[in-house]
Amino acid sequence: MVDGVVIHEEDASKLQGVFTRFLDDSGARAVLLIERSGQLLASGGPAGALDTVSIAALAAGAFSSTGAMAKLVGESEFSVMFHQGEKKSLHVSTVGQHAILLALFDEGTTVGMVRLFAKDAARSLDAVLAASRARPRRVGALANPLAADEAGLDVAG
Amino acid sequence: MSIINYGAKEISFKVVYYGPGVAGKTANLQHVHRLLPDGSKGRMISLATGDDRTIFFDFLPVAAVAVRGLATKFQLYTVPGQVQYNMTRKLVLRGVDGVIFVADSQWDRLRDNLESLRSLEENLREYQYELDTLPWVLQYNKRDLPNVAPVDYLEFMLNRRGRRVPSFEAVAPDGAGVFETLNTVSRMILLSEFGPEQGGAA
Repeated sequence: MVDGVVIHEEDASKLQGVFTRFLDDSGARAVLLIERSGQLLASGGPAGALDTVSIAALAAGAFSSTGAMAKLVGESEFSVMFHQGEKKSLHVSTVGQHAILLALFDEGTTVGMVRLFAKDAARSLDAVLAASRARPRRVGALANPLAADEAGLDVAG
Repeated sequence: MSIINYGAKEISFKVVYYGPGVAGKTANLQHVHRLLPDGSKGRMISLATGDDRTIFFDFLPVAAVAVRGLATKFQLYTVPGQVQYNMTRKLVLRGVDGVIFVADSQWDRLRDNLESLRSLEENLREYQYELDTLPWVLQYNKRDLPNVAPVDYLEFMLNRRGRRVPSFEAVAPDGAGVFETLNTVSRMILLSEFGPEQGGAA
């Protein structure tokens, strides 16, 4: 089975550092780092006002279906996806093999600027994720195995 | 694929409802969405055709009880059941942590259940997952209908692998069996991920 992603506290602050630089340089409003399975890894900018969990799932779905289309026309993947709105637009691009970066921007900048700086950001983010992958998964609260009764959770609440 | 975020004190998992068309996968999600209080669920998204058939997936994020101080979240997805949508089914399985196979209990759907289970196995292999090591459970849905096969028969047809998995009878639109199924697979996922036997489900 493929190993999951672990984001340690030091990785979380490094990701935030990359986000801040990206938002400053590109003029984008908000940014989401999304695992390709659809789960949100981190977000930057005033993303709190957005339904980031839903956006992450939908963006990953759209990106994966775009990837399937790429294969049908003989490409290994399309590395960028762009949705243009009247006021707000989305730019989605690859971050290594496992993640995608979604940038939300408006008329305060251009898709060219976002694309340019998204490439730089992707390299930095991929390096943070790679370092994170090399660290142990089970530390701190999860260092000791879970007993059966500890896993007796009910989502029914 | 589990995401452990020590910074945000959060663990999150992906659960996929799989099964033949019109077996009740979306009905399971709708019931979970109806019953959970607002604080424990996010928005439910359905990417469906005009006649309510799922075309890509349904999605519902839910929050569970915290484990050792880490908030535990499950992202629930369904796949489209219709045979022709196999490519989208495969996409939804990416990074899955656990599967709920929703079988249609009616006699005339037995072949569809078997074919769907076979396609699940094939699609998982594309991601190097094996059904025998992945946490999964069976749900025999539509038990309220008159023409259903006995559970023993369904067990014989669908739950016959080396490792028998937990199975549940359900009537998804009424909610019968829905939370039992979900809670069991979420427990199996947590133990598989963090229990004493790494990689092996309960």
